[in-house]
Amino acid sequence: MAQEASSSTSSKTISLKTGDGEIFEIEASAAKQMKTVQRLIDDLGDDITIPLHNVFSKELPKIIEYYKKDITGEITKDFEAEFVKDLNDDEVKVLFLAANYLDANKLFEFLSQNIADRLESKSVEYVRKYFGVENDFTPEEESKLREERAWSFRGIKEDE
Amino acid sequence: MEKKATPFLPLEMIIQILLWLPVKSLIRFKSVCKLWFSVISDPNFANSHFLLAQTNSTRIVSISAAPPQIRSIDFEALLNDGSASPNPNLWLPQSYFPLQMKGSCRGFIFLHCSSNNYLWNPSTGFHKQIPLSPIDSRFGAYFHYLYGFGYDQSRDDYLVVLLSYDPAVPAHFKSHLEIFSLTDNTWKKIEDTRIPYRGHYYYYYYPKVGLLFNGAIHWLVTHHGSSVTVIVAFDLMERKLLEISLPYSFVGHHCVSDIGLWVFGEFLSLWAMTDGIVEIWVMKQFTVHYSWTKTHVFPIGAIPYFSPIYSTKNGDIIGTIDGTGLVKYNGQGQMLGHCSYCDDPRGSQVVMYTESLLSLPGDHEQV
Repeated sequence: MAQEASSSTSSKTISLKTGDGEIFEIEASAAKQMKTVQRLIDDLGDDITIPLHNVFSKELPKIIEYYKKDITGEITKDFEAEFVKDLNDDEVKVLFLAANYLDANKLFEFLSQNIADRLESKSVEYVRKYFGVENDFTPEEESKLREERAWSFRGIKEDE
Repeated sequence: MEKKATPFLPLEMIIQILLWLPVKSLIRFKSVCKLWFSVISDPNFANSHFLLAQTNSTRIVSISAAPPQIRSIDFEALLNDGSASPNPNLWLPQSYFPLQMKGSCRGFIFLHCSSNNYLWNPSTGFHKQIPLSPIDSRFGAYFHYLYGFGYDQSRDDYLVVLLSYDPAVPAHFKSHLEIFSLTDNTWKKIEDTRIPYRGHYYYYYYPKVGLLFNGAIHWLVTHHGSSVTVIVAFDLMERKLLEISLPYSFVGHHCVSDIGLWVFGEFLSLWAMTDGIVEIWVMKQFTVHYSWTKTHVFPIGAIPYFSPIYSTKNGDIIGTIDGTGLVKYNGQGQMLGHCSYCDDPRGSQVVMYTESLLSLPGDHEQV
């Protein structure tokens, strides 16, 4: 007689191994929200430790924390505000990259909005540095652009 | 010296962030580099940005008369925590005043001034002159005008629609329908059949602007022959007028002090005020008369006036109080909050709009 099919995924936990070798546990229903993880589970099975080469031990616990709240329907504006409160702009960027790698849509969208909020009043110089973008305008081109759009340069924050 | 590596975000990810930025920041960030300049100038980007803004941040423009002051307000934020301060950076040339805002569509606001019309994008500051209609130029203040402003997706064209009539000639009543197409850059008269509609009885007290909904401009009008109040909708694609009757309980008996149209969720909605009690009706199936459903009746409480303009995702109703402030009620008619945005006791004109980077068709770079 065939073995009983494995129990429903809702109570099972999956082991995830970060790029720097640490292992974290996550509920299978939360893992499902991260499409990359789910694909790896589909390919490798849910009994082995899933390797996540591009996510590290600094970020994964935060991500797990987010999806733990998501599966219980507890993500509120207050939770999201708390979640990013102590992260600096670079830490958010790393988390954003991890969410992208993991194909974790909800977190990805939330972090896009959060980064946009952080950049809204920043200067052009800050944004270039933040994204590692080179200025390829000539000084004349750039000053012409600024002059034409002077109103958009008012009221921006001083760079730290 | 070890250089701290900054994580590299591919362009697709950067665009996902840019889509959430307000127009002012995006325009500033065009100076970041040439690639960003071309991404932010791209019409597809402007379109995606607008669609996202439409579901996430609708604002109002408030223009008060004297001294002329223009404000852009994130009204949901203002009501929720009072923190959103009105954006004072809006500006229009002095020569445009006095003006009336007569509709908004895709981030553009249609302005009517005594000698000209304008299309204005408050987010980018862009403005373009549009001629007065032949009838407006000829008859000016002698006529009554019902304006509407909308977009015909099938032709990527913006249209201004004008229903006008001479209020002083009841016997041989005739009203006129003219439309201005932005791509044709000209006014055309719609000759077809008789158009037996005149402005609602309360035209002078509460001049209403056409409501853009479902690709058509809607006005509350009076049928000249029967004196019955009806809704008339001008379909921007078909370029035809269609009449929609009001719910039966409005025919004849109703003694309302004010009435209006707005969009409630996904539906065309009618609101009516009688003795401080507001009634809200929703047309569950567009143009199907029996689908009119009364959804809310509640007293407005201790405010002098209430005109619904916007419904939130969870069914709360936001309305203006006489052009000086805003009020919010939940689905049960309980007042959740109110705020003021205009110091002038005469109030201000208010129009809802969405921030947009969109350019008008046919024009070169406008932002």
